[in-house]
Amino acid sequence: MAIDEALIEALEAERGVEHVEELGEISAVLIRRYAAAIGETSPLYSDTAYARAQGHADVVAPPNFIAAVINWGPGAPYERLREDGTEADTHLPGVPAKGVRVMGGGEEMTFKRPVVAGTVVTRTTTLADVSERQSSQGPMLVVHYSDQYRDAAGESLLETVRTVLLR
Amino acid sequence: MSVGEATRQGTLHTGSVLPATEYPTSTVQIFRYSAATWNTHRIHYDKDYAVAEGYPDVLVQSHLHGAFLARYCTDWIGENGRLLELGLRVRRFAIAGETLTVLGTVTAVERLDDAHAAIALELIETRGSDGETCASASARIEIPRDWLASTAADDTADQSGTAA
Repeated sequence: MAIDEALIEALEAERGVEHVEELGEISAVLIRRYAAAIGETSPLYSDTAYARAQGHADVVAPPNFIAAVINWGPGAPYERLREDGTEADTHLPGVPAKGVRVMGGGEEMTFKRPVVAGTVVTRTTTLADVSERQSSQGPMLVVHYSDQYRDAAGESLLETVRTVLLR
Repeated sequence: MSVGEATRQGTLHTGSVLPATEYPTSTVQIFRYSAATWNTHRIHYDKDYAVAEGYPDVLVQSHLHGAFLARYCTDWIGENGRLLELGLRVRRFAIAGETLTVLGTVTAVERLDDAHAAIALELIETRGSDGETCASASARIEIPRDWLASTAADDTADQSGTAA
């Protein structure tokens, strides 16, 4: 499959449909590991006492942590992983598992509140819009997805708009 | 407040260039980042696979570029303000072992109230091997208002004028 009417129709049918996922509790271990992985030296992300002295209940996640996690579950069984090691379900409602080349086109993040260890996070993903564009390699679709990350009280933590290019 | 932060008072205006910061990368870091984000894409840990895909080595993840750009902002602000927005574009790949350098330029300033201001930053992340841009970002940061130069023009009115 390439860019055709059926694909555009499938994406248009997704426009505005909300997909709500419970991502679970953001643990201090996950935060400390992420901070170590990116080379963070600020104790805000690793030292509970320091974070408390700054007015937080516990260590704080680096800004783009919750947007960076690829899979919040255990992951698919090995026989269901693709040749490149990724899973078919890649957080892209309306995009078929095969036949379309998916490229990242950037991400806009708006940080609403610090994500503190112990926060239980819900993500609502919505396909915002689809548009067609001619590229040097033929027709391409530009898709924008909106992700709303909220805590258990419904307070907004992070809003992102992802741009995904389909060929 | 550190010496660096004290010397910022009264200095910032549109066009101010922030200090460049280097972020070294390594195969171990890229592996650990994949583990911390449960990213199973082989392009980040299987060099044979990366070579078969046409790259010289395993690739830095898009979100790790984003993490460096976010860190550049949060390290610079310290506890004095906060990162409000970050818009990221990854333009070219970076392989394990590259040192990435981030440089920020103030593109707009806006006085929010008596104590606070917001600045817009354009960030460029380049790779050490050839100086090419790997990622770019626009950021919006809240800072103490007294970091602005007294002569710094508030850009809000100019922007709305341009838009109209």
